[in-house]
Amino acid sequence: MASDEADSYEVESSASGERQIVAFSLGTETYGVDIASVREIIPIQRIVSVPRAPSFIEGIINLRGRVIPVLDLRKHFGFEQKKGDPNQRIVLVEAGSESIGVIVDAVSSVLRIPDDSVEAPASVIVGPEIEYINGIAKIDKDLVVLLDLTKIISDAEKKTLKETDLRSAVVQ
Amino acid sequence: MTKRSPSTEYTRDLELLLTEVSELLAATEENLVALEKAPNDASIIQEVFRVMHTVKGGAATLGLKEAVEVSHSMENLLDEVRSGTRSLTTPLMDALFSVVDYLKEWRSALSERKDPPSPDAVLETIHGLQDGGGAPETAGTASETSLPGPLLQRIDSALREGRSVHRMVVSFQADVPLLSVRCFQILTLVEEAVEVLGSVPSVEELENDQVKDVLEIYLVSDDDGEDIKTVARANQDVRDVVISKYQSRGQKSAEAARGKDPGETAAVKRSDLGKTVRVDVGLLDFLMNMVGELVIDRTRLSQIASQLMRESEMSGIGNEVSGLASHLQRTSTELQEGIMQARLLPLKSIFSKFPRMMRDLSQRCGKEVTFEVWGESTELDRTVLEAIDDPLIHILRNAVDHGIEMPEDRIAKGKDRKGHVKLSAWHEENQILVRVEDDGAGVDAEMVKRSAVKKGVITEEQAQKMSEKEAVAMIFLPGFSTVEVATEVSGRGVGMDVARTNLERVNGQIEVKTKVGAGTQITLRLPLTLAIMRALLVKCGQNVFAIPTSSVEEVFSMGGLTVRSIQGKPAMNVRGRVVPLISLEGALNNSMWALNGQKYALLTRTNDQTLALGVDDLIGEEEIVVKEMGRLLSRLKGIAGATILAQGDPAIILDVTRVI
Repeated sequence: MASDEADSYEVESSASGERQIVAFSLGTETYGVDIASVREIIPIQRIVSVPRAPSFIEGIINLRGRVIPVLDLRKHFGFEQKKGDPNQRIVLVEAGSESIGVIVDAVSSVLRIPDDSVEAPASVIVGPEIEYINGIAKIDKDLVVLLDLTKIISDAEKKTLKETDLRSAVVQ
Repeated sequence: MTKRSPSTEYTRDLELLLTEVSELLAATEENLVALEKAPNDASIIQEVFRVMHTVKGGAATLGLKEAVEVSHSMENLLDEVRSGTRSLTTPLMDALFSVVDYLKEWRSALSERKDPPSPDAVLETIHGLQDGGGAPETAGTASETSLPGPLLQRIDSALREGRSVHRMVVSFQADVPLLSVRCFQILTLVEEAVEVLGSVPSVEELENDQVKDVLEIYLVSDDDGEDIKTVARANQDVRDVVISKYQSRGQKSAEAARGKDPGETAAVKRSDLGKTVRVDVGLLDFLMNMVGELVIDRTRLSQIASQLMRESEMSGIGNEVSGLASHLQRTSTELQEGIMQARLLPLKSIFSKFPRMMRDLSQRCGKEVTFEVWGESTELDRTVLEAIDDPLIHILRNAVDHGIEMPEDRIAKGKDRKGHVKLSAWHEENQILVRVEDDGAGVDAEMVKRSAVKKGVITEEQAQKMSEKEAVAMIFLPGFSTVEVATEVSGRGVGMDVARTNLERVNGQIEVKTKVGAGTQITLRLPLTLAIMRALLVKCGQNVFAIPTSSVEEVFSMGGLTVRSIQGKPAMNVRGRVVPLISLEGALNNSMWALNGQKYALLTRTNDQTLALGVDDLIGEEEIVVKEMGRLLSRLKGIAGATILAQGDPAIILDVTRVI
C-alpha cells in the first residue's frame, strides 16, 4: 500500500526518491508544504485588514512594494486565534500567478522526506480537511501533514466569490 | 506694452523671468562643471557669459537690483577670463558657483514673494578675488567716438577665430517711451537668436538710462543676418534696422582660417525648445481625475449592460450597451495612457543638479572623483521622478562618502588616484533602469554582519549562517547604517530603508551588487508608467482608506452641523439639501447607520443619490499608486484596490460610490 502511494507521487519527487518540504507548526500539529511552492518566509508584520473580505483572510501586507493578501490558517482550519506570538511567521506561497501569505505558528525546518514514508491521507484522517492534504509523512515518531496550499488558495478564491456575490445580493 | 495694470503685469513678467532664470541656472551649473573639466573651452565661457547677461537684462527690466549686481559681477569675472587676463582657478570656480547659488536663493525667495537675500557676501567674495587677483577692472567708460575697449577686444578675438562679425544698427520711431527698455528688449531678442559681442550703448549704460537715437549691436553670424533683422523689425517701435559686415584689421586673413562651426559647441544651449508646451501640473491632475470618473462610469455601464442582457426582452439593448461600454473602455484606456505620457519628464530634470553636488561632495570629503552621467534624456513619470530624487541623492552621497577611498588609499591599492562614479539610465523592456556605479571600496558583508549583530538585528549564529548577499541586503533595513559616526555628508536624512520604501511606493525595486575592493553597483528598476490617482486619505477606526478625489464632491467638518433623524435614520442638511448620513466604517461592516462621533463627512454620489459618509479623521490629499491585490481580493464590492502609504503601510482604496 505504502509503496503504491509513493509511486503516484514520483512525478514531483526528486531523482533520489525524496522530496523537500518546509515544515511548520500549527497548534500541536506539524504541517509541511512543498519547498518549490514557498517563495520566502518572513516575520509577522503589520497586516491591514480588508473590509468585506472572507473571515479567514487576515488582511494585506506590503512586501517590498507588492500588496499581498495574508491568510490565517488557524482561522481556516477553525482553530482558536493566536496573536502576538513572536514565533509566528508568514510563509509566502506562490499559487499560479498569485502570491499569498500564510500565517503559521512557527517554521521549524526544511525536511527531506523519503517518498516511501508518505502515506495517503485517507489512511489517517477523515473529514472535510482531507481535500487539502496531499499525504501524511511519517518521520521517526512524528507525523507531518503535507498540505496542498494551492488547493487551499483556489478554494479560498471560490469562497470569496461566493461570499461577495451573496453579500452584494443582500445589500442590493 | 502699455502699463494699464502694472501690478498684475509685473507679477506675470516676474513669474516668466523666474521660470526662465531657473532653467538658465540649471544650464549654467552644468556648464560650470563642464568648464572646470575643460577650462580652455571658450564656447562654454561664452555660453555662461551669455546666460548671466540674460539674467542681468531680465532682472534690470524689472528693477531687481540684487540680481543685476551679482550677475554683473559674474559677467565681469567671466569677461576677464575670456580676455585672458585671469585664469580659471579653483577659488574663481567656487566664486562662480557661489553666484549661481545666490541666484537660486534669490529666485526661490522671489517666487515665494519674499524679500531677496542680501548679495553682500557673494559680492565680497568676487571683489576679494578681483582685488587679490590683480586684474584691472575695465570699466565701460570708453570714448564716444570709437568702440569701448572690452568690446573691441571681443570683436577682435571673434575675428581672429575666423567668425564673421556684423554690425546691426537699430533706429527707433520718434518719441518712443522708455527707449532704454526698448533697446533692452531688442538686445535680448537678438541675443536669443545669435551670439552678441556687445552693444553701443552698452547694457550698463542702458541700465543707467544712457540712450542714444540708435542702438548698435555687434554680433556673430554666419549668414547675412537677415533673420535677425526680421526679428528686430517685428517690434513696432523700431523704425529701421541695418546690418552690415564688420570689417577690421586682419579681417581678410582671418576669413581664410574660418571653418569652425560655432553651432557645434559643448555648451548647453537653451534654444532647442522643440514642439512642446508648458502645462500646469494642476491641469494634468485635473485631466487624470476626469479620466478616473470616466473609468467609474464605464464600470457602471458594463454592469448595466450585463443586467440588461439577463432580461430577455432587453437583451438587444443590453448587447448594444455592452458594445458601447467596451468601446468606452478602449477610449478611456487610451486617454489615460495619453495623459500618463504627458506626465513624463526627462531624468535630466533631477540629474542636472548631480554634477555640482558630486563636485562639492568630493571636495568636502577630500576625495578625487570623476562623475559621469548617461541617459539623462530617458523619460519617467513625474511621480516616479519625485520618488527617486532623494534616494539617488542618498546613493550618490554614499558612493562618494563610503564608496570611493581617499586618493592615497586608492594608490596604495593599485587603483587610479581618481575614483569614478557613473550614473546611467536606460530603457529595458517595460522598465527604466537607473544605475549608480562606483569603483570604490564596496560593501563589506562581514562589517554589515558585525554591525547588525551589535544592533541586535540578528544573532551571532544567524550572522554566521547568512550568505554574503543576505548580509548586504540588510543595509535596506530601517535604521541600519554601518558607519559608526554619522558624517556631515551622508550620515543623515534618508537612509537606504527610506530609499527602498520610496521606490516600492511607485512599484520600483532597488538592487545592490557589490564586491569588496572593486566597487558597488546600485540599480533602481522603475515602471514606465503607473496607475496614479489623487486620493483623499481618511481614517476610520484603526484603518486608513484612500478615496479617489474624483468621487468626493465636498468635505465638511461635522462640528456645528446638526444631525437629524428621518424615519429613524440620521440625515443632515447641506445647504438646503437633506442628505442621508452614514458611517463609512459602519457601511463596510454592514451597519451603516452606526454613527459614533465622526469628525468629518464626505459628500458623495451613489446611484444618483447624494450621501454623506462620516469618517473619523482626514489625513490629507495625496497622489497614490494603485496596486493590484490579487484575484483573491479583486471582487470585493466597493474596494478598488490597494496602495502603499508614505510610511510603508498598505491601505485600501475605496470606491465610495459602490460602498453601499
